[in-house]
Formats: sequence, C-alpha cells, structure tokens
Amino acid sequence: MISIIIIFTASLFFLGIVNKTRSLVSGRKGPGIFQPVKDILRLFGKGSVYSSTSSYIFRIAPSIYFASVVIAIFMVPHGNVPGIISFNGDFIMFAYLLGLGKFLMIVAALDTGSSFEGMGASREALFSMLIEPAFFILMGSFALFTGYTSFYSIFNTLHFGNHISYLIGGLSTFVLLLIAMTETSRMPVDDPKTHLELTMIHEVMILDNSGIDLAMIMYATLLKMVMYGSLITNFFIGGLPLFMSIPMFFMIQGSLAICIGLIESFMARFRMNHNPQYILMLTSVSLLVFFVVLLILTKFN
Amino acid sequence: MSEVLLITFIISLLLMSTANRISTYLNILVFQGFILFGITLFSLSEMNTVNLILILMETIIFKAIAVPVFLRTIIRRNHINREAEPSVSNFVSLIIITFIIVVSMMLSTQIKNPSLNKTVFVVSLSNIFTGLYFIVSRKKIITHVIGYLIIENGVFILSLAVGNEMPMMVNLGIMLDIFASVLILGIFFNKIGDVLNDPDVSQLQNLKD
Repeated sequence: MISIIIIFTASLFFLGIVNKTRSLVSGRKGPGIFQPVKDILRLFGKGSVYSSTSSYIFRIAPSIYFASVVIAIFMVPHGNVPGIISFNGDFIMFAYLLGLGKFLMIVAALDTGSSFEGMGASREALFSMLIEPAFFILMGSFALFTGYTSFYSIFNTLHFGNHISYLIGGLSTFVLLLIAMTETSRMPVDDPKTHLELTMIHEVMILDNSGIDLAMIMYATLLKMVMYGSLITNFFIGGLPLFMSIPMFFMIQGSLAICIGLIESFMARFRMNHNPQYILMLTSVSLLVFFVVLLILTKFN
Repeated sequence: MSEVLLITFIISLLLMSTANRISTYLNILVFQGFILFGITLFSLSEMNTVNLILILMETIIFKAIAVPVFLRTIIRRNHINREAEPSVSNFVSLIIITFIIVVSMMLSTQIKNPSLNKTVFVVSLSNIFTGLYFIVSRKKIITHVIGYLIIENGVFILSLAVGNEMPMMVNLGIMLDIFASVLILGIFFNKIGDVLNDPDVSQLQNLKD
C-alpha cells in the first residue's frame, strides 16, 4: 500500500525535475517542477475528438493502457512492505501486463489508419520485443540468486555482501534505468520533443488521441517511469525501516530524474537504425548479470 | 575484485562491437589496457616483485599508451577515414559477440579441471574469438591490427590464469611479438598508403599476376 502512495506522490514531480534539469543545463530558467502534471490536469478537463475511421478499440485502448500500468504498480513492493498483489512469479505478470497495455496502444495506432502511426507502432513493437528478454533474464537471474520468484521475496532477501554483488547491483541498475528510458521513450532512443513524424516512435502513435485519452496516456507514461525507478530503489533499500526508506526512495527518484535530465541534455538522439543494437545491448548486459550470479552461486566452477 | 574487472572487460567487448568509429576502438583498447593493469595487480600479488613490476609496466605503458598512440599516428599519417566500415551491421555483430560469450561459457562448463579459473577462461576465450571475428568482419587493414590486439589481450588474460608460475621470458616473448607485429604492420601500412590511396581489404581482390 505504501508503495502506491509514494509512487503516485513521486510521479507529481518526476518529469518536472527532468525538465528543470534540462532547462538549467541549457541555461534557461525553465518551467516549475509541477508543470507536466498541470498540463495533464488541463487535458483531463477536456473532451475527446475521435476520427470517424477509428473503431471502439481506439476508444478503449488509453483506459486499458492506464489501467495496466496502475495494476503493475500494485505489484511493486517497497522495502519490506509487499505490494497489494504479491504471489510467486508475479514479475512475469508484471511484464505481460505492461505488454498488454502496449499491445492495445499498438493496435489502436493501427486502427486510426494513419500511415505515420502504423510506422510508429511497428517501431514500438520492435523495441518492446528487444527489451523483453533483457527484463526476463535480469529478473530470472535474481530469482536464481535469491531462490524466490516474487518481487517482494526477491527484493527482501537480496543483500549485497562483497565486491561482486555490488557489480550485480550496478549492472542491474544500469539495465533497469535504460529499460525505463526506452519504455517511456526518453532521449537516446526516442525524443519526446521532436516535431517530425518520421523520427518519432511513441509520440507518433498518440497523434490522434486528444483530451482525456491523451492525458491518460501521458500520465501512464509518467507513472511507468517512476515505477521502474521504484524497482531500482528496491535494490538499495532492502530491509530498512520505513522512516529511513521513504526519504531514500524520494532521494533516489530525484537523482534518477536528474540523471535522465543530464543524459538528455548531453546526448543526441540515436539514428533510427542504431536503436536496435543499443537495446539489444541491454540483453547482453543482463546475460552478464546471469553469468555473475552463476559465478557467485558456484554453479559454474 | 578481479572478477569485477573481468566482467568490465567483457562489457568493453560489447561496446566495441557497437562502435562506429576507429577512434572509439582505440579508446576501448586503452580502457582494456587499464583494466588489464588492474587485473594483473589484483591476481598476481604473490609474484616476485621485479617480475610483477615488469608485467604491470607492460600493461600500462605498452598496451594502454604506446600501441594506441602508434596506431593513432598511423591513422593520421595515412589519412584513414574515421568510419569503421564493418562489412556486417553492428546489430549482427552484437548478436554474434553475445553468442560468442555464451558459447565460451558453455564450453568452460565442459572442462572438469579444478585448477582452471573458469572466469578467466571465459573472458580470455571470448576475447580471442571476438578478435578473430573482428578480423573477419571488418574491411580496413587498421581494424585487422586492432582485432589482432584484442586476441593478444585475450592471450594475456589466459596467461594470467597460470600467472604466478609464468616465467618472465614468456611475458617478454609476448611483448616482443606484438611489438614486432605492430611495427611491421605499421611500416607495411605506410607503404600501402603510399601506393594505394584507399587502404581497403576488398581492393586486394583486384590484385592479379
């Protein structure tokens, strides 16, 4: 329960901090840190316009996307407090809930009949396909490492002892951060600020959505970012008591936001044909995590 | 600690497979030289001090400074294009190198010798195969030299597995060997650069009697 409250709280200022960092680095004053949430609230107050060529799928897709992200958040634990939904093997359901939401977004994008949106849907499907093995190999390695298969037990029994387990922590933080940045279409893969349909990935899929649908999609993306951030936080807080783990959660979320802002300020977007290799790299790195886990468990020697 | 550095070494191989420029390759070679310095320092600490200092000097001066500077000079003097020009796409390269790492992990589980350090074995084997793959899949001659240096790094790591018994002569042999080969390839390369303006391996197919 506690994780939902703090994830929703952190989502209020996460994107704001990213934008503020980008503004400050480029020498501007920038909007306030609640501006993205204010934009979303403004969109919530507006009605939607639907194209006459689109069917009911286009109308239900944003709600299901939003719901899938929220249910996925229900599974995220916080330290030694389990999520609302917690059972053995819940990380598989976590991944496929996000997959369901993404599938409906892709189908809805195809439903509009716009050629640009079909192109964006194709790219989104390709990148999600490449991300999935990385996430599963990573979580599978942790399941092997700890001997449990639910988020709560994995994170609760995970403790870092020697050099090599810090290596696991570092590598998995790297993989999860880049998964988060790819899934939420941030800079090195996709530029959320781009204004050319040919180079967009996620943004081009939601060109036809408006009003409350657009608000739900934007807020779901924002929540997804914080959700991956809280998975990363769980690596570090372990079994700390709540009065220490909650400030630590906000600190780690804030530093992740600053980190994303800095990456976005200093990196250019990749060329579209360089993206698959960048994302596949995450799978290779998570294979290395698997290798290290085998090494620690001495299954290997 | 040396395991951490060995895993970092494998990550440098993955980075190398996705690099687009020759200068990135050289930077990664410098990085590998420093990692080798660290691995040597941590894993050979029981060794005779004079030998240890010699090997450490070799890694830092030779691998991390001299060879990359020399290759950079060659690249500048011959006006080599900064693009790496692989003959297969980087995406395929990354898949193949990941495959190489997985295969060498699987190979090492088949060896039942308890005195062998498996991590070192996996890292060195994947380095050697990656170097071979680099030589096969890159068009320019300069990248062949780089592939050769990757193989040499792999052999060096493999020799660390038996490190504490490794006589200094073997090490000197390695050093002389790569020194000679890089020098010869450098001179050879300068000559090729004088004769042909575009040093590309695919042009060698046009040679006839």
